[in-house]
Amino acid sequence: MTTHPSDRDDRRDSRPDDGDGDDKLTDPAAALALVQRQQAALERDQLGGIPVILLVWGVAWLVGFGALWSGYAGGNPWFQVPLTVAGIVFAVFLVAAMGISAWIGMRLNRGVRGPSNFSGAVYGIAWPIVGFGAWLMGVALARNGMDSELQSLFFPAIFALVAGVMYVMGAAIWRSLDQLVLGLIILVAGTVAPFFGAPTNNLVMAVLGGGAFLIAGLVMHINLQRGRRA
Amino acid sequence: MTELDPVIHAAARLRISATLASLEEGDRITFPRLQELLDMTAGNLSTHLRKLEDAEYVVVEKTHKGRTPVTYVALTRRGRRAFEDYTDTLRSLLGDNA
Repeated sequence: MTTHPSDRDDRRDSRPDDGDGDDKLTDPAAALALVQRQQAALERDQLGGIPVILLVWGVAWLVGFGALWSGYAGGNPWFQVPLTVAGIVFAVFLVAAMGISAWIGMRLNRGVRGPSNFSGAVYGIAWPIVGFGAWLMGVALARNGMDSELQSLFFPAIFALVAGVMYVMGAAIWRSLDQLVLGLIILVAGTVAPFFGAPTNNLVMAVLGGGAFLIAGLVMHINLQRGRRA
Repeated sequence: MTELDPVIHAAARLRISATLASLEEGDRITFPRLQELLDMTAGNLSTHLRKLEDAEYVVVEKTHKGRTPVTYVALTRRGRRAFEDYTDTLRSLLGDNA
């Protein structure tokens, strides 16, 4: 994050130093406001990447699952895309979202060493491990006779389950209500979508899952800009 | 009438303390990252950190990561308490005035 208008306000409050740099604060209200502004600016700087991660995933789910829904027969009534193209679009958006969120995630707590690193590292590494485990489980089921239609129900559902649980865990670690609500909606999307059958399950994932990510990203971004804890 | 801690009661050191107090207890931050978060010059930040260090509110730890020297900064327990007392005093002052 670069400079925000309020950062410049902060600088104005910490007036250019005289010799010993003891720029005096006179008014208690101004001092308290300075503390609050500084901590809000810090939060924006440190957590500003999270809404970006959520928005990126929102777009990836909306476009990716939207493409799959438009790829299967009996899906999108307005237009169809070849299933191969849909698969490629889905894969590209998913891989891009993984890359972008991993890069942003690793930078969130940069420069800080200590107990908080442990939670962040365990959480960050859990994502690819649990995701890989879920994928491997699907592969094993496919090898044991799960047909392609069932696979198209199973894979989105299991990934939504993984993502939902991860966001609920994140909510527990960082005491974030936004993340808790998001995690629960993703869990609902994942568990409800298979009941609609293929290919409508993809539409549920795109709209409910993707929509939840986009709204959560926007809400968190607005909260950070207002200086409220997300 | 409670006195405001003069070590913290200066805009630059108040911003430094507020930033360090926002870290999780036990966490330390590198000097360059702290500088980036505060948007202060290295010299200015060093000067104020020294005053906080003299009051034993802050520990500055110089170590090495491979061959490059790294400086970590953290609030001491005493510093965290002083910052909390300071903000409590501010709030009570404001409450009295209201």
